[in-house]
Amino acid sequence: MPAPDYRSTLEYLRPFRGRVLLLAAVLIAGIGFQLGAPLILRRFIDAALGVVAVESLATLGVLYLALAIGNQLLSAVASYLGADVGWRATNELRADMAEHLIGLDMSYHTSTTPGELIERVDGDVTAVSQFIARFMVKLLGSGLLLVGVLVVSWMTDVRMGLGITAYVMVVLVLLLRMRSMAVSAAEEERETSAQLYGFIEERLAGIEDIRANGGGAASMASFVPVSTDFFSRTRAAWRKRAQFWVASNTAFWSGDIIALALGVALVTADAVTVGTAFLLLQYTQLVRVPIEQVSQEFQELQKAAGGILRIDGIRRLASSMRTGSAKLPEGALSVRFGDVGFSYDDTPILSGLDLEIEAGTTVGVVGRTGGGKTTITRLISRLYQPVSGFVELGGVRLDRVSETELRRHVGVVTQDVQLFAASVRDNLTYFDTSRSDSEILEILHGAGLGDWIDALGLDSVVGADGAGLSAGESQLLAFARVFLQSPGLVLLDEPSSRLDPATESLLATATERLFSGRTVIIVAHRLDTLRVVDEIMVISDGAVLERGARDVLLGDPESAFSAMVAAGEALT
Amino acid sequence: MSSFAIVLELMRYRPWRFVASAALWSLMHGSPVVFGYLIGRIFDELSGGATVESNPWVLVVVFAAIALGRNVVLWFGEIIWIDHWLEQSLQLRRNMLRWLLEAPGSRVIEMSTGGSISTFRDDVDDVMEYLESYVDGGGFIIFGLGALGVMASIDAGLTLVLLVPLLLTLVLTQALVPEIRRRRREMRFATETVTGFVGEMFGSVQAVKLAGARSSMLTHFRALNEHRRKKALRDTFLTEALRSINVNMASIAVAITLIAVSGRVGSPEFTIGDLTVFLTYLPRLAGNMAWIGNIFAQHRRAGIAFERIQTVTVDAPPQAILDRSAVQFSQKPPDVTPPDIADHFETLELLGVVYTHPDGAVGLRDIDLVVSRGEFVVITGKIGSGKSLVLRGMLGLVPTVGEIRWNGRPVEDPASFFIPPRTAYTPQVPRLFSDTLANNISFGRPVTGRELMRAARLAVLEDDVDRLEHGYETMVGARGVKLSGGQMQRSAAARMFATQAELLVFDDLSSALDVETEARLWEGIFAGRSEVTSLVVSHRRPALRRADRIYLMEGGRVAASGTLDELLESSSLMRELWTAGDERESR
Repeated sequence: MPAPDYRSTLEYLRPFRGRVLLLAAVLIAGIGFQLGAPLILRRFIDAALGVVAVESLATLGVLYLALAIGNQLLSAVASYLGADVGWRATNELRADMAEHLIGLDMSYHTSTTPGELIERVDGDVTAVSQFIARFMVKLLGSGLLLVGVLVVSWMTDVRMGLGITAYVMVVLVLLLRMRSMAVSAAEEERETSAQLYGFIEERLAGIEDIRANGGGAASMASFVPVSTDFFSRTRAAWRKRAQFWVASNTAFWSGDIIALALGVALVTADAVTVGTAFLLLQYTQLVRVPIEQVSQEFQELQKAAGGILRIDGIRRLASSMRTGSAKLPEGALSVRFGDVGFSYDDTPILSGLDLEIEAGTTVGVVGRTGGGKTTITRLISRLYQPVSGFVELGGVRLDRVSETELRRHVGVVTQDVQLFAASVRDNLTYFDTSRSDSEILEILHGAGLGDWIDALGLDSVVGADGAGLSAGESQLLAFARVFLQSPGLVLLDEPSSRLDPATESLLATATERLFSGRTVIIVAHRLDTLRVVDEIMVISDGAVLERGARDVLLGDPESAFSAMVAAGEALT
Repeated sequence: MSSFAIVLELMRYRPWRFVASAALWSLMHGSPVVFGYLIGRIFDELSGGATVESNPWVLVVVFAAIALGRNVVLWFGEIIWIDHWLEQSLQLRRNMLRWLLEAPGSRVIEMSTGGSISTFRDDVDDVMEYLESYVDGGGFIIFGLGALGVMASIDAGLTLVLLVPLLLTLVLTQALVPEIRRRRREMRFATETVTGFVGEMFGSVQAVKLAGARSSMLTHFRALNEHRRKKALRDTFLTEALRSINVNMASIAVAITLIAVSGRVGSPEFTIGDLTVFLTYLPRLAGNMAWIGNIFAQHRRAGIAFERIQTVTVDAPPQAILDRSAVQFSQKPPDVTPPDIADHFETLELLGVVYTHPDGAVGLRDIDLVVSRGEFVVITGKIGSGKSLVLRGMLGLVPTVGEIRWNGRPVEDPASFFIPPRTAYTPQVPRLFSDTLANNISFGRPVTGRELMRAARLAVLEDDVDRLEHGYETMVGARGVKLSGGQMQRSAAARMFATQAELLVFDDLSSALDVETEARLWEGIFAGRSEVTSLVVSHRRPALRRADRIYLMEGGRVAASGTLDELLESSSLMRELWTAGDERESR
């Protein structure tokens, strides 16, 4: 296993150096205060017994108060500062990770789920944030406090030092051992509770299906195994945690017992003062919290180490896309494939494909699923790049063009419209705040979508997965996005779902306006869509089987296209 | 229902176990009162201030015995309470779910599913935590009174003065806890926004790449992160502030003690042992007061949580949620016998049915509608005209006013009446459940393999089943995500066919289907017309063409009804809808 690269992670703290130093100062001062307060109590007791001489006992009381309050304030400030630095640094890290991940090739994204990436960008990074914020404050602070207690104890009395040191060691080892048990219990608990609430959530979402189809009793019956499983697994997890509590509680109280016994033995032997015996008891209680924190943070540290390792792994991944800085011409773009070969997972899809589409034409691409239609569009939109040969847009090879430049010129409407839980405006602009409302409205009015967008409203909020929008409205939104982008080439993968008549006619108007003055490639699933295209291209087995004007091919009974239409199966 | 009434009712679920828990935890939380006393005695012995001579070693042994014995109590207290908590909270959740799914009457959940789930999870926990405070409470009171009693017996005046900072802890805690919870909720919400956005960003990564939107998405992401940092710090700040207050009040009390006794400490009036008694009790007393302050907050919270539980369960009476006698969560519920349908379906009538949305807007007004045996009746209209609402109102899924008659007799509770084998329903966006395809179709009814295949054939699902890896035994994933939209819709249709109900009610069945599949689906439905009656929402031509009667909806009422030809003749709205369909099909 490679060692986690803590250094590059700590780099993220560099911009916040001032705060980090302040934090360290606060921590160290706080530890001094914590060690000091029990020492005052010892002095108070010993002075009361006449063992040591002090001017005034009341002054010691005031001093104690100042120390205790000062300590508490410092500890609050330290927690706050630590959290602040941790969040700031890891927010940077989160953004960098997200940026890096978006830049990775589609082959990476098709092999990972969004859930995993949430875990990487948020889960792992949060673990690292714990590492920064809590490591600094808790592990370091607690460790220093422990050391401080031990040093003062040894200086006070060797036997006392020995006793406390042995106690701290034993309890620390015990807790570290048992803690991992508690952690696995927490994971188990999270998993089983996700199952229980997942079950309930599905039933609530499907309440009408269930009620109107008499499925209530069956649902309650299937709740039985889910809830009994939840019961037994959660119980096991909670019992493990209870074991941990009982064990640590036993250990801590044993400390008090030992401290009392040692105190009694040392005082009766006249080896230490009564005040020192009380100090021993106080210090034994003082180390409880740091011992707990050290054992807990040690776990967190392991989690953070795992997170840092995974983050490193992702940082090392790089996009394989070749890019350059050439510019694409403005306006409608021509398309050319030169001897293009492409394979996916070692399965050859295209080989030696040559293809040319004139600027400004509208081409309908048809053919059976798996024939290569989608691959062709993805090579143009550069979600994939050819294994051999080249793709040119407007006479410029794509591997010489930057991604930003390409995106500005190529607009894509996919089958499934991806929506965000956000306002219509943010959905249209992908959260680009530089576009003004008036600009957006002007473009959409020009596209014939004015009435639609006015009725919908830019500020209305779309739910997750596009909740609140009909399938038709999602399609209109996808079209509107392309209008805002105003590309010279449009790739349109026709939606397979059917829309209501009103939306369909709106879409037809928008389609016509979108197509004028642009090169358009439509992957069609339905015959009626092809009414608007100039040319038809039939793709089969990674090659152009047939190509020609739509009316000509349709009129020719020998053509593959007319045969497909006749069979009524052509377009799926 | 008041928080007290709720907690009293909750205590009566397995009362003896509750009492046993309370006894164990009283012992656990109350016993530290002995420790302070013993420590005082030990230090009196050591400093020579003891009035009653005793061997300090005996005192240490007594201390050890109680301290270690307490852990045995802790263990049993834990395992009994774990069982109690889990059983009772599951029982409450089960009662809630049962009420929603099975109780008579209409039930529209106004809250989002996410919000409802958090009520199932967090609000039930809040109610249980309040109950738990009664388990712990006895011990805290024993300790509090005991410690104050011992202190007062040493110095009553000083003890009275020390009550001031201690009570301040109580007051401040109960005032700040609700605000801390509010901030923590905001922080959680901000976190959910961040993770939700990450999920969406990578769920749509292809779209984001294609739109060249990487930098604008990241700018937004940074803004969300910054928002979360602020919320997190607000939370940290107040949590730390409260902790400081509690710890500082204890320190202030210690300091007051030191100053107050500085003149006489060490004398028989106030011995070193007495001092250690005060020093030992004070921090724990402050914690105790904070705990009592928290109970006040918990009391209010439990009331609010229970109100939310009632909102989510729509109209459940408190007794239904708190029901102790109901089937336990771990027992299989009794099988329900399907309703007896000695009388076969002849007619369904809606007479003056009205539905008003919760916000007061009109949903349906004066709907009159008739369906007779063997008919194919279509409801059509533009989006938002109330088509789907007619079906949902008739089925009792939303509460309506007006009369619904089945074979001429009024239906008292449509929700529990309109179920298989009388009727079956497929909503516009059908929901599947994380189970096998077969179980999603049979829906808990005993269905033979042949019936399953017949249902799948009618729903044009057969070919899809053949292609699925495990056929009917394929797990469809959470909410059916492993199936395509069309497959989900046809699985729901198969579920409807499998009920063999006499009246099929379905909403826009073809919205996710391609032409060919749709045609086959209609064929199957029309072929079975002799025995099956259909009430359908659709704007599709094949449906309209074959309808015995069409109800044309506009603005929540029936604008016109009749056959297609009649309506095309008389209604411009019908002509508009028909032509829109025409353009699409012939294009």
